[in-house]
Amino acid sequence: MLSVLAARPAVRAAVIATYILLVEWARALASTAPHAAVPVLILGGLALVLAGAGWPADRLGLGRSRLGLRILGGFALAAVLLLPAAARASAAPILPAFLVLPAVVVSVGEEIAFRGALYAALENLGGAPVAIIGSTALWTAAHALSHPPEFLFAVAAAGLLLALWRWACKDLVGPIIGHAIADLAL
Amino acid sequence: MKRLGLLASAAVVYLLAAWMVAPGFYDGFTPLLPYNWVCPPPQAGSNQQPSSGHQVIKVVTGISDASSAFTDPDTQVVLGFNFGVFDSTGKTSITVDIKPVSPCPKAAGITFATNTYLITADAPLVKKATLVMRFSDLVPAPSTVYYATSADGPWTSIGALSQAQPFTIDTSIDKFGYFAAGYPSSAIAPSGGGSSRLLPIAIAVLIIVVIVAGIPLAIIRRRHAPDDGEDEDDSEP
Repeated sequence: MLSVLAARPAVRAAVIATYILLVEWARALASTAPHAAVPVLILGGLALVLAGAGWPADRLGLGRSRLGLRILGGFALAAVLLLPAAARASAAPILPAFLVLPAVVVSVGEEIAFRGALYAALENLGGAPVAIIGSTALWTAAHALSHPPEFLFAVAAAGLLLALWRWACKDLVGPIIGHAIADLAL
Repeated sequence: MKRLGLLASAAVVYLLAAWMVAPGFYDGFTPLLPYNWVCPPPQAGSNQQPSSGHQVIKVVTGISDASSAFTDPDTQVVLGFNFGVFDSTGKTSITVDIKPVSPCPKAAGITFATNTYLITADAPLVKKATLVMRFSDLVPAPSTVYYATSADGPWTSIGALSQAQPFTIDTSIDKFGYFAAGYPSSAIAPSGGGSSRLLPIAIAVLIIVVIVAGIPLAIIRRRHAPDDGEDEDDSEP
């Protein structure tokens, strides 16, 4: 089964995309059930991490070279992602303490799934342009159930920024750090 | 340089897109529905007045039906009633009303994190009912639900059960009156203040760290540039 997927990039990309989309939508729907938010968010995040199974770390952008710059890049991404909220801090919501762990797990899971596994699969299929546009489109679609429609343009723009970082720096550490800090702050 | 340009362009597009929707970056952890305030806090943007609720509960063979009453359509207050929670002697139906209280009551030593609601029924409770109040993500989470027989108080804490959903506080009630979720004023900073001040400072620190640490790292990387040649990729979007 895995060898079939590996031999057919289009099938592999489609399987990964479908899996990620189903996990994200199921997470969005299930997390509204009473007492379900924390376990569903954590399980959903872990399920997204599974999307990266079988990929070498460097194909996911998780190499250890230039680690200092990658971490610093994550801080820079976080600053950009949070700048609009910081500029009008009075409108910044407060993330309750019980959502801290779910926020980190979901951030890591989403980055490994979208900018890691899906990006790598789409890059194998059609190169960087397909990977950037495809991962951004799926990222936006995946948030369609959990976000009001007016947020989706900002979601798409954030996905594009993170995907371009993944391409330009061949790095996923920065997007993971930036995404996690942004989720923790809001 | 082309990559840097594309990244910078994407950052600008993101900043413009995120500026159009408060708070900007948003990953679905905060409530989808904005809270409707009677007295909106300064940090709230556009505001709609909260809605009221009205429910008629049937009484079948002397026992009140299981039912729920909620403010419609904002569902900021939801009451749950099991079978027979009302004293339904001589009644064929029981009416429950939920109304947001205006002007907003004040209570010494208490900060309310929600609107105050007056909940009334034309029959008293003989068993406990559940009360779920949604609160805003713009203010610190309330620690308890307060009850009073008058909008002027005195207010009594009736506690809170485990949180059923994010941004809700649950409790059980055995009588009707005025209800609001909040916390002792001494327990926490005034609404929204802590996070609101902290976020710009945190972002400023991040930017300073990136600049201060980035310069020496960039110099080191430039000195070792020939060693990193294998990392380059020619694919262009």
